[in-house]
Amino acid sequence: MAGIEKPAAPRSGAQTVIGSTIVIDGEVSGDEDLVIEGTVKGKVTLRQGLYVEGSGVIEADIETARVEVSGQVTGNIAATEKVELKADCRVVGDIRSPRILIADGAVFRGNVDMDVGARAPKGK
Amino acid sequence: MASASGSTVIGESILINGNLNGDEDLTVRGRVEGTVTLSKTLVVEPSGTVKAEVQVRNCIIAGAVIGNVTATESVEITKEGRMVGDIAAPRVIIVDGASFKGRVDMGEVDVGADRVAPRALSRPSRPALGTARAAPRAAAKEEGEGEAPAAPRPPAPPPALGMGAVKRKVVVRRK
Repeated sequence: MAGIEKPAAPRSGAQTVIGSTIVIDGEVSGDEDLVIEGTVKGKVTLRQGLYVEGSGVIEADIETARVEVSGQVTGNIAATEKVELKADCRVVGDIRSPRILIADGAVFRGNVDMDVGARAPKGK
Repeated sequence: MASASGSTVIGESILINGNLNGDEDLTVRGRVEGTVTLSKTLVVEPSGTVKAEVQVRNCIIAGAVIGNVTATESVEITKEGRMVGDIAAPRVIIVDGASFKGRVDMGEVDVGADRVAPRALSRPSRPALGTARAAPRAAAKEEGEGEAPAAPRPPAPPPALGMGAVKRKVVVRRK
């Protein structure tokens, strides 16, 4: 059924996969890559990469090192390294990250703030 | 068995705090707190910790579970498994080496459960008295003591026969 995550999955051993029928209502946190094919509501805090697959839906604030979105995200994204919005993704919310990539075909509404790398968030 | 594609895996460093619902197998190597509701199998691996109310179809516990587990089919605690909480499932397997503290409820067990009481009365206890008078075997045994006084006799001897009948039933169950 799945098999879509192959390009995104194995970074530092993406062992955690939230499958397509799974709904999590609450907080998810951890120190490893996380692949989301299902639904997460609440809050996601990671020190590694977050990969939201095409079937994935996130209604949560996200704090991670890297984010790749192919699915849907509603909520603010704060990444210490990079945010990548792939084609066919839908993102509503503010993005704060030193590097932000928005691919052709991505749907995005919200603020972008790349001014975070050296200076801590203190306005603009 | 563990990490097949399409199933969900919670990695070792992951903590989920909240409600988790789903229709697929879930393997926990990290921590899950809150509630877990699945229509399939929950596998808690040795590195996994689940502090939650769990409702699943099958549950295999090789890690730590704190909380009540309700399964529609089975719960198995493997030799590495540790659990504190109550289990409600028709099939419960606890293997040698597993540690468990809590209650086990396998549902209707026909040893005088309240719901089964009406049927239970009609089968083992009252009929035992009935058969003491009516059944040919019982009558045959009582023949040596006397046929006619068997009916008006006080209920002292029939219990002995009743116990004999129960013993026979137990033997049948062992087979």
